[in-house]
Amino acid sequence: MVDVGLETHRAPPSALSAKSTRTRALSRGAAAASGPALAVTYLSLLVLLPLAAILSQAFTGGPAAFWREATSPESLAALELTVVCSLIVAVFNALAGLLIAWVMVRDEFAGKRVVNAVIDLPFALPTVVAGLTLLSLYGPSSPFGVNVAGTRVAIVLALAFVTLPFSVRTVQPVIAELDRETEEAAASLGASPAAVAKRIVLPSIAPAMLAGAGLAFARAVGEFGSVVLISGSLPYKTQVASAWIYSLYGDDFLPYAAAVSTVLVVLALALLLGMGWLRRRFDVGGIQ
Amino acid sequence: MTLEIPAGSLTALLGPSGGGKSTLLRIIAGLETPDRGTVEIDGVDVTDVPVRKRGVGFCFQHYAPFRHLTVRRNVAFGLEVRRRPKNEIREKVDELLDLVKLAHLADRYPSQLSGGQRQRMALARALAIEPRVLLLDEPFGALDAQVRQQLRRWLRDLHEKIAVTTVLVTHDQEEAMEVADRLAIINEGHLEQVGSPSQIYDRPANEFVLKFLGPATQFGGSWVRPHDLTVHRVGRGTGQPGVVERVTHLGFEVRVDVHLNNGERTWVQLSRGAADELGLEESDVVWVAPSPHALAATGMRQLSSA
Repeated sequence: MVDVGLETHRAPPSALSAKSTRTRALSRGAAAASGPALAVTYLSLLVLLPLAAILSQAFTGGPAAFWREATSPESLAALELTVVCSLIVAVFNALAGLLIAWVMVRDEFAGKRVVNAVIDLPFALPTVVAGLTLLSLYGPSSPFGVNVAGTRVAIVLALAFVTLPFSVRTVQPVIAELDRETEEAAASLGASPAAVAKRIVLPSIAPAMLAGAGLAFARAVGEFGSVVLISGSLPYKTQVASAWIYSLYGDDFLPYAAAVSTVLVVLALALLLGMGWLRRRFDVGGIQ
Repeated sequence: MTLEIPAGSLTALLGPSGGGKSTLLRIIAGLETPDRGTVEIDGVDVTDVPVRKRGVGFCFQHYAPFRHLTVRRNVAFGLEVRRRPKNEIREKVDELLDLVKLAHLADRYPSQLSGGQRQRMALARALAIEPRVLLLDEPFGALDAQVRQQLRRWLRDLHEKIAVTTVLVTHDQEEAMEVADRLAIINEGHLEQVGSPSQIYDRPANEFVLKFLGPATQFGGSWVRPHDLTVHRVGRGTGQPGVVERVTHLGFEVRVDVHLNNGERTWVQLSRGAADELGLEESDVVWVAPSPHALAATGMRQLSSA
């Protein structure tokens, strides 16, 4: 309620509109007071509480044990594999997503609507189903004779499949909103098509591409279902972090699993903060 | 259609919306390809020259600012892609920013500018490449009335200063007559008439041009400007008798609707002073005659002989 009082005082003391301003300030004040509380409660129950549980679980054996488990050779191998594959996929899908989004916005072709719907399929499909599909297509009984099961290529393939919608859908609306006249203006000023792409188009869509890549990376780091079947989860070779955590949990090493999980959480958090920082840097350019 | 645009002129393509003016402008720029016909600049056929090599400055109706670049970098763009030396670019851009009075806003972004300032930035950006032709698409269309007035006068002055051949598109006849020294009236993809503003106003080639450029009324079987008619209390040689139907005061002017005895309904535009002197009221019997000026000039004879 203190909030409400403050808001009222801050309202401009204009004689004519004083009454309506105050009423609006009051309702805004009430919303401002209950809004954050609601959001924080919800966030706590859904996100913060489980995170705290993992942290306490991870440190049950003390910091030394945590460190030993988080940096055990098998943990490090799994984490490194996860991060490297996720980075490859994020970069690759940023480019592929840009291409697909561009074609979807700028080109007209038969079946465009169907293709547009299909892009979201990896979202809708349960990831285990995605894994099964990939295994049947690119596994030992591949109809094309392409068998990548049990290799790192398979991991990248599976991650690329499940994260593609992020890369397309973050960039697509930004491309649709591009002012085509700026491209024509650049051309009339003497810019070649390549220069228009580099100097006009890319700076406008780079923040969206980055956001898409960030989401894809975050999703890839934690991906389990689609990867676990086709990769074979061979320790030190094709075992990603989530699979390693799952096997630790299965073997009843709960604190060990929690320690590796904590590293993943920290990674994701660092990534999100880094993305926010980058976006603020881009926003200085006045891109709405 | 064939349209010659003299070097150094400021020509307005004028006509109703959807009449093909902007398309013509985009064809001149090379942003659009004509189905047939050619575009020549300085006698050289440039129809197949792509826009980036045509050397035209194009200002879009909504300015098409590069949002991620400062005002300075916007203006410098054409020179940067031409890979001119840095100090030459800086000098040229400073000069242009002074010309368009944006020097104090050089480090702002387009989103921090007003509409009129963006318009001037777009103009400086187009002028930076020293275009052979400057093309402006509805340059004042997106601005409010007061800023529009200022910018019209400013553009007129600027054109006198730099004398680059300029073509602008507008649907506002007042704007066209104020800014341009030549008008090309375009309607439904056809060129109706080309000439100086006063030529076209006083000697319209046809009914469409007459009506588009200003008010028109019927008198003696042809179309005239209502301000080229006068009203008298007593009959004179060329007058037509009639009855006043209505007197409308519109600020500085007075509109008098007259039902002539020959059956025509006409209206006369009088100054307030002239109207007050006559003291006209409904049902008064009056004589309507062309003003001496109108007889000496113009449209009436042109049209009636046409």
